[in-house]
Amino acid sequence: MKKLKMFFDIEKEEQWLNEQLQKGYRCTNISGLGIYTFEKTDKRYVLRLDYQDYLSKQKFKDYRGIYEDFGWSYINGPWLGGIRYWQKEEDNQNEIFSDRESTSNYYKRWMGYSASLAIVFLFFSYTLYKDSGLYLAEGLWNMGGSLFWKAFLFETPFALLRSLPALMVVFFGSSFYKAYRKYSMLKE
Amino acid sequence: MKHKLLPLSETMHYILLALREPLHGYAVMQKIEEISNGTVILAAGTLYGAIENLNKHGWIEPVGESGRRKVYMITEEGSAILKMEQNRLLHILSLYKGSESNEEA
Repeated sequence: MKKLKMFFDIEKEEQWLNEQLQKGYRCTNISGLGIYTFEKTDKRYVLRLDYQDYLSKQKFKDYRGIYEDFGWSYINGPWLGGIRYWQKEEDNQNEIFSDRESTSNYYKRWMGYSASLAIVFLFFSYTLYKDSGLYLAEGLWNMGGSLFWKAFLFETPFALLRSLPALMVVFFGSSFYKAYRKYSMLKE
Repeated sequence: MKHKLLPLSETMHYILLALREPLHGYAVMQKIEEISNGTVILAAGTLYGAIENLNKHGWIEPVGESGRRKVYMITEEGSAILKMEQNRLLHILSLYKGSESNEEA
């Protein structure tokens, strides 16, 4: 079974994935375009998301080795970004973090991740919008009557497409804020 | 200023104590479960992050491999940290007993 889904929020993604597993599936692949592949199983699985920046080959081997010793199996994730997907059969140890320190470090890594993406898209938006507005068509705002409306409607899908980077800034910005809230709650 | 890992968290403290003998990651978790009488059971991500952190600060170091697993052990610096923490805790314990003397600490 394949499902198409888009997430900007690691926690929502984790929650959704676990809802699928609760229905008797296990996840076998996750691709960068948001295609999640599942297969039927009669066992119960849990899935946890971790965030790690780029890891060298050796570091990744150590990282993966420790998780596998604990019974977690690695699911190949999107090439972009450092979200790591871990799945294992449900038992009495279903978490990947067991203390406050490591949990708050996780939120800190997540903050760094969403902040850097927000900044990239902010920069991208700036270069995209600085000369023209959202609508590229020349003289659009000077057209009159029905011609204006026709042109406006025609141009709108393109304008929406052009507004995507700005939307990304909002999404990753709010993801940052969410991680920050969790992080500061743990620091209290 | 104090080192940012001090005073040691329970996780870090137990890992340093366990690594007075050479062990690989998973064995560290098992050892800690045993010496804490089952009260401290580390999860994978917590153990990985703590080992990375302690290694980065030079308090533990890889000393070999067992199969594909890296084996770690405490360094001299790490032992010195444990000694410091021991004195700190001994002093706190002495306060529990209502003793005023802390010359030994």
